[in-house]
Amino acid sequence: MIRRIHALGRRGCDMLEALGRSAVFLARASLGVPAREGWYLWLRQMHFVGVLSLAIIVVSGLFIGMVLALQGYTILVDFGAEQALGQMVALSLLRELSPVVAALLFAGRAGSALTAEIGLMKATEQLTSMEMIGVDPLRRVVAPRLWAGFVALPLLTVGFSVVGVYGGYLVGVQWLGVFEGSYWSNMQSSVSFIADVGNGMIKSLVFALVVTWIAVFQGYDLVPTAEGISRATTRTVVYSSLSVLGLDFVLTAVMFGGFS
Amino acid sequence: MFDNFSRLASMFDSLLVEVKGLRFSRGERQIFRGVELRIPRGRITAIMGPSGTGKTTLLKLMGGQLVPDAGEVLVEGQDIHGLSRKALFGLRRRMGMLFQSGALFSDLNVFENVAFPLRVHTDLPEAMVRDLVLMKLEAVGLRGARELMPSELSGGMARRVALARAIALDPDLVLYDEPFVGQDPISKGILVKLIKQLNEALGLTSVVVSHDIAETLSIADYVYVIADGQVMAQGTPAGLDVDEDPRVRQFVHGEPDGPVPFHYAAPDFLQDILVREDRA
Repeated sequence: MIRRIHALGRRGCDMLEALGRSAVFLARASLGVPAREGWYLWLRQMHFVGVLSLAIIVVSGLFIGMVLALQGYTILVDFGAEQALGQMVALSLLRELSPVVAALLFAGRAGSALTAEIGLMKATEQLTSMEMIGVDPLRRVVAPRLWAGFVALPLLTVGFSVVGVYGGYLVGVQWLGVFEGSYWSNMQSSVSFIADVGNGMIKSLVFALVVTWIAVFQGYDLVPTAEGISRATTRTVVYSSLSVLGLDFVLTAVMFGGFS
Repeated sequence: MFDNFSRLASMFDSLLVEVKGLRFSRGERQIFRGVELRIPRGRITAIMGPSGTGKTTLLKLMGGQLVPDAGEVLVEGQDIHGLSRKALFGLRRRMGMLFQSGALFSDLNVFENVAFPLRVHTDLPEAMVRDLVLMKLEAVGLRGARELMPSELSGGMARRVALARAIALDPDLVLYDEPFVGQDPISKGILVKLIKQLNEALGLTSVVVSHDIAETLSIADYVYVIADGQVMAQGTPAGLDVDEDPRVRQFVHGEPDGPVPFHYAAPDFLQDILVREDRA
């Protein structure tokens, strides 16, 4: 019994310690003065985590928009309110689905790749040799990836929303026959730029920070063996998915919960 | 033991690195219990010992990547673990380290790998960088391989490229971590020759960590043998070869059993087998 309590306490301490380590890590990586080639490195990472994630984001956005329109239509039509379809699709996407689903996809597509890449660099001593050459890997390797993720995910989220709204239009208007004018004009009159688009973007920025932070930290902090890399990659996806969903609830409660 | 005492004495006139009372442990395991080393300038000093004695750890302590529990590592009189992060990175520009795995950057080709230290630490024009890189690659015989990616190199070539990168900034001190491990006889011969040549031609100070006796003793000026967390023996290669200490004899002559047992600590063999039979 005592041993179990002891183990529990040790686990708690380990977790706290890892949390502290990751905070120091984040501060050192993001606040460092960018290297001379910082821009170039950042652009390359933007291509890697942003442009290459575009396909999965666009396809998923399209299907989610289409499914939303389909499901929404079957419910709304019972009340004769199918004109409100555009409003429903746009609000669900902007407030919830785009930031959350894009972040989850991003964690799976780019986050796990970041962890594995940095982890492999650590396992093959590339990070150590960089340190011995006198270059801080936090600045050279981690910072460009962190900033690229932080910028790329909100942009991807915008793309997700745009494609999703278009997917809703395809199904709702072209297929199910909702009047095109009401689809767009209801959307226009009900979506507020600050409350809906703005809050969605704030969510997305928070998720971007959390997902990229978890991904690069797991890569940097892992045990440099084959097993260590696989475990860290799994942890990246699990931790970032859970944090995204948990944080989404908190942020939604603050933004749309009507507490203010 | 000292075949030429005056030569040795003059060798230690100028020290580049001095390790004093170094203690280090990893978890419960004590790796070093008061290690003392003196690395003379301009020479090749070998640090040898059986696998698992923490030779690589010692290099990491000398490079300031690990912090010892006690004791100090002085490089040119400065305690490397007392330096600020910035000063430490500055000092490391004057050190080159050859890693066991080569540790080439897998996203850069051979040329860019060697150019990396020049690009990040100097403002040299591109033409000058090119000349310097080609000079270093010529020194290791791989000028023709400049366009290859690290994944296309053999183990021996990768290590030679890593060597070219380690000397790209003309460092004062080069640390070699097991340079001969896993190499075929030809690349071993090439590396032995290169380490010796570079040391003489560039006036480097070299520290070679290895357990390849023949290769290391053939180029070292002075040898430390480390075992059980301490310096077990030291001397010139000729001195070590005739050392009477049974532990040194076992290591230097590669005898399978001796003071360092062949068996990992285990209970009595007969008893171990009987216990298993009982259970069945």
